[in-house]
Amino acid sequence: MRLRKNLIALMSFEELEHTADIRIRVEAATLEELFSEAAQALMTIMYGSISPGNIRRHVEMDADDIISLIQEFLSEILFISEVEDLVFSGAEVRIAGNNLIADLTGEPFSKMKHLGGREVKGISYSDLSIGRERDSYILEVIFDV
Amino acid sequence: MLPGIKRLAPFEWEVPIGTVPGMRVPGRFFLSDELAKTLEDGAVQQLANVATMPGIIKNSLAMPDIHWGYGFPIGGVAAFSIEDGVISPGGVGFDINCGVRILTTPLQEKDLKKKRELIERLFNAVPTGVGAKSTLRLSYKELESMLTGGARWAVRQGFGMESDLLHCEEQGAMGGADPGAVSAKARQRGMPQSGTLGAGNHFLEIQAVREIFHEKAAGSCGLFPGQICIMIHCGSRGLGHQVCTEHLRVLEGATKKYGIILPDRQLACAPILSPEGKAYFGAMAASANYAWANRQVIMHMVRQVFSEMFDIPYEEMTLVYDVAHNVAKMEEHIVDGRRMKVCVHRKGATRAFGPGAPDLPREYVSLGQPVIIPGSMGTSSFLLHGTQEAMVRTFGSTCHGSGRIMSRTKAKKALSGQEVKESLAAEGIIVRAPHDGAIADEAPGVYKPSDEVVRVVDSAGISRLIARFVPLGVIKG
Repeated sequence: MRLRKNLIALMSFEELEHTADIRIRVEAATLEELFSEAAQALMTIMYGSISPGNIRRHVEMDADDIISLIQEFLSEILFISEVEDLVFSGAEVRIAGNNLIADLTGEPFSKMKHLGGREVKGISYSDLSIGRERDSYILEVIFDV
Repeated sequence: MLPGIKRLAPFEWEVPIGTVPGMRVPGRFFLSDELAKTLEDGAVQQLANVATMPGIIKNSLAMPDIHWGYGFPIGGVAAFSIEDGVISPGGVGFDINCGVRILTTPLQEKDLKKKRELIERLFNAVPTGVGAKSTLRLSYKELESMLTGGARWAVRQGFGMESDLLHCEEQGAMGGADPGAVSAKARQRGMPQSGTLGAGNHFLEIQAVREIFHEKAAGSCGLFPGQICIMIHCGSRGLGHQVCTEHLRVLEGATKKYGIILPDRQLACAPILSPEGKAYFGAMAASANYAWANRQVIMHMVRQVFSEMFDIPYEEMTLVYDVAHNVAKMEEHIVDGRRMKVCVHRKGATRAFGPGAPDLPREYVSLGQPVIIPGSMGTSSFLLHGTQEAMVRTFGSTCHGSGRIMSRTKAKKALSGQEVKESLAAEGIIVRAPHDGAIADEAPGVYKPSDEVVRVVDSAGISRLIARFVPLGVIKG
């Protein structure tokens, strides 16, 4: 089960072409899953691989629109991860309008285990989009590295 | 290349008004035919987007290392009128005052017999890579002093010499810093990271002076053929990244409040003299000072290692210069024959002030400001100097590096970190990084050739070559 979860996390986003930075595309059935998958994608890029842990963090936020909400959500995860030395592998997200509540789970950062990643400096608004394709939500976002 | 782009001179191109709706001024960029082959439409589009911003003066500019970024293109330069212009984090980037400095030593290549040991000692002395923590234990008050004092604060703490400060842009401390505009969250990120190199394209490199193009200038900079030098490339770490993230949010609101229409949300901006604009400038200047202190502390660590290992006096390792290449500054320039104060944004571009500029130390007054252009791993780096031509044509700006041409995804598919490391080792270049992935990402082939980029700025006259350095050993974050 553990391995499967991990595999799902790794397969849930794809890296698109971008010369200087990292541009990814995430696809999910619901908006909540899209946010959750995006969080996992960010962590996978930063730390190479992620695996489940039992540390929990709770975040709540409001934004003007859904684009600002994803930008602020990912920026907040980046912040907590860096200052608390945590690597998140899961995010249970609830969204009502432009309000978000999320419970994050993860494990402590380990230099030995999490050395395969790249430092993300920020979540860019450039070309940040959330759209619908058939039954899926699609997110495209650029991480400055 | 996008339709409508006109060539004005062998190395100069114009993006006419109308390329994107709402352009107020034409775009202009510097490029050779060779570099034009890898020019991305996305980068030109971003250059044109910048031209739509209120109060932009003369042109939206890009240097020959132009490539697709976010907000401004990388290599982008734009000046805005103080009275009716705007300031934008999209014209500075997340890594505020990412910059580079070059330090000389009295050593020659032949003195460097224990290169691997030296690299290892430097790697152990300078905290490097994702999750690396500082050996400094800053108090809240000390961080506050660092945000206003920059490199000057670092020197007062014992990390360097007074003369270092004269050899930094802004003497290592930018005026107008407002620590009050730097949030508790930004400070929380900054506290444990002062004096750390970071990751990504940041590096510390041991180099040798291989070629001198301008002997007198090289002499003024304290350089001689075969000399060992050290280049340090890093920025304001998480503190600057957080400042950018938070002020971007505030300026998003301000964009709407002031009725500014923009083609890209990353260009979120506010009038320079508005409360939001002033707060961003104050926080950005404080972050820039953090970065100058950071490079000063790292340079101190490097000097200590060299001093101990080669038994050379600390003060014989002089700083040639330190430049910022992601920053917005209030500067005086002559526009249409009139001297005026403007806010110059440089995003992946370097200040290149010509002879006589007020900010220069005595030894560079007649030469112009030293400009440092780092190469990529395995390729040459260059020292140039600013020119009067740059003052006239680019608000005293030039390129900042070689500019990427290959995405990270392609780079990883092309060569593994191990392969890159081995091929560089065959050329005598030792690479040390926390993991091999960091090496593949930044391999030499992913960048435009640095010699072609500097050839363009030299030929266009916006800076002139002094010397070329070759890498001997690299520490990558």
